[in-house]
Amino acid sequence: MSEFKFPVINPLLHSELRLKIMVALDSLESADFMYLCRLTDSTRGNVSIQIATLKEAGYIEVSKMGLGRLSHTVCHITRKGHDALSAYEENLRRLFQCEVPNSAEKVC
Amino acid sequence: MTTNDQLEIIAHTRAEVMGSKELTGENLFLAWGYPTAIIMLLEFAALMWWNEDWCAWLWAGIPLIGTPLMIYFLNEDYERTRRRTLNQNVILMMWVFIGFTCCLGGFAMGIAGVYHQCLFPLISLMCGMGCFMTGIILHFRPKTVCGIISSMLSAVPLFFQGDLWPWQLLATAVIVTIALIIPGHLFRRHIRQNMN
Repeated sequence: MSEFKFPVINPLLHSELRLKIMVALDSLESADFMYLCRLTDSTRGNVSIQIATLKEAGYIEVSKMGLGRLSHTVCHITRKGHDALSAYEENLRRLFQCEVPNSAEKVC
Repeated sequence: MTTNDQLEIIAHTRAEVMGSKELTGENLFLAWGYPTAIIMLLEFAALMWWNEDWCAWLWAGIPLIGTPLMIYFLNEDYERTRRRTLNQNVILMMWVFIGFTCCLGGFAMGIAGVYHQCLFPLISLMCGMGCFMTGIILHFRPKTVCGIISSMLSAVPLFFQGDLWPWQLLATAVIVTIALIIPGHLFRRHIRQNMN
């Protein structure tokens, strides 16, 4: 009997808020910090921490636009981030198929 | 959270972002269309009235008025939505390229002395092509149709040569109305209806 390996789930993307941010940035060219707060329905502090974490992992790039009081933070997804999100989604789907009883035999 | 929950978050977020993403840019066609058409008519009137060389350079007022208006409406859109899609970037870059080509073409043709023959068919064709491609990208049929019609009509100014060349301006104003003003108003109405 061949040994089945469970897909590895990226812990960085397994948080709901980080996942929402990554999916939004993957669907857009760029998004403002305030847009991400509104989309995720979260506080600025919370989104700011998650953005810093994603930036540190190299999944997103953050740039400041404008000057002084009018400046705003703009986020873009990187190639690494896009690949990580695709792999995460793929692994989730494989895992989901394992969880469904009827399809369990096919995959696992 | 289960894997199903995570997959639902992905699908829901994607649908939310994609669902409302193209409801912007309703004023950009009008910001370029009206200055272009009005200046073309003014230039035509000035040429008919005075018939002096300086009148032919009135077209340079189009970028002078259109660019600040465009920047204003782009900022207004960004303030409202706080995000930029790939489609918006592609469309913006395409129109910036079209604008530069028309301006450079205008100066080059003015210096080369072929201003009367070629500039207005070029402006008409570029506007028509831009309108057509914008319609294709946004899946907005009126822009596609208006783009095709105005591209086909862009040959009309070529028939006004010699002493008749000021009539090119009138033809171009009509073509710009078809390429920018009419689809601009239709797109604006479409967006307003979708936002309510």
